[in-house]
Amino acid sequence: MPTDRWHFPIWLWYALLGVFFWGLWGFLSKIGSDTASPMQMQILFTLGMLPVALGMFIQMRGKLDRDRIGITYGLLCGIATGVGTLGYFAALHGQNASVVTPLTGVFPVLTVILAFVILRERLNKVQMGGMLLALASIVILSI
Amino acid sequence: MHWMVYAIVAIVLWGVNGLFMKLGTNRVSARSMVIWVTVGFVVLLPWMWKLTTLTGLSRNVMIVGLIAGAVNGLGNWAVFACLEKGAKASVAIPLTALYPLCTVALATIFLKERPTALQWLGIALAVAAGAMLSYEPAPAQSTEEQLPCAQ
Repeated sequence: MPTDRWHFPIWLWYALLGVFFWGLWGFLSKIGSDTASPMQMQILFTLGMLPVALGMFIQMRGKLDRDRIGITYGLLCGIATGVGTLGYFAALHGQNASVVTPLTGVFPVLTVILAFVILRERLNKVQMGGMLLALASIVILSI
Repeated sequence: MHWMVYAIVAIVLWGVNGLFMKLGTNRVSARSMVIWVTVGFVVLLPWMWKLTTLTGLSRNVMIVGLIAGAVNGLGNWAVFACLEKGAKASVAIPLTALYPLCTVALATIFLKERPTALQWLGIALAVAAGAMLSYEPAPAQSTEEQLPCAQ
């Protein structure tokens, strides 16, 4: 049975680090997108990711995990994110960013639903409230 | 095709991606995931290169774009590590999707942009959402831990 005592789990540090790096990525994208098209930026992002992947590969001394299913999920992550981003750019051709960006920002809802159904994850009431506030915030900040 | 179809494609693929991230980190390390995700991105490069080129871009913009890509890669690693360390996908994905909060803060500090009243509301909601999403009560101590002299 859970207690009310709150603790700072290790995963939360990484989540905050992720928020910082992605936030910095958003900031740099904002600067770059003044003159470059979204597609050009996407090409540069992909090229920029290569040294990071290479650094990880060297850090692992070339010993990559060989779990085929894990590798498939990794590849699918890259392809899904990339194609999703291209879909987002295509939507921007037909509608203003002030409409498309908040709309596509609700994607975590789908992740939460899938995690509920497939991974059988359950959120507590506070986290459920947090998710609703997060959605409202994502929509507002992307307008 | 109607723009809404493309937007739905983006929502579905990004949403499903959150699930793939968790399923992947259940099986391979965060660092391996970064490598395979990058390969997944590279697979799309020839297609993107058919649609556009980098000619005409200034050196500065290219450098900013490349650094942004590297930072994005590090962000991917941090989120994979977060999931690897036991975060639920249903918590980690909405939580890290709050990254525009950090973008707004950086733009305020370095570009001297002033957030609008609506953005201030978004910032306040994001902070509250972050605190609430990360609320996980600690597991209760066992009876033996609570009563060390019980025996």
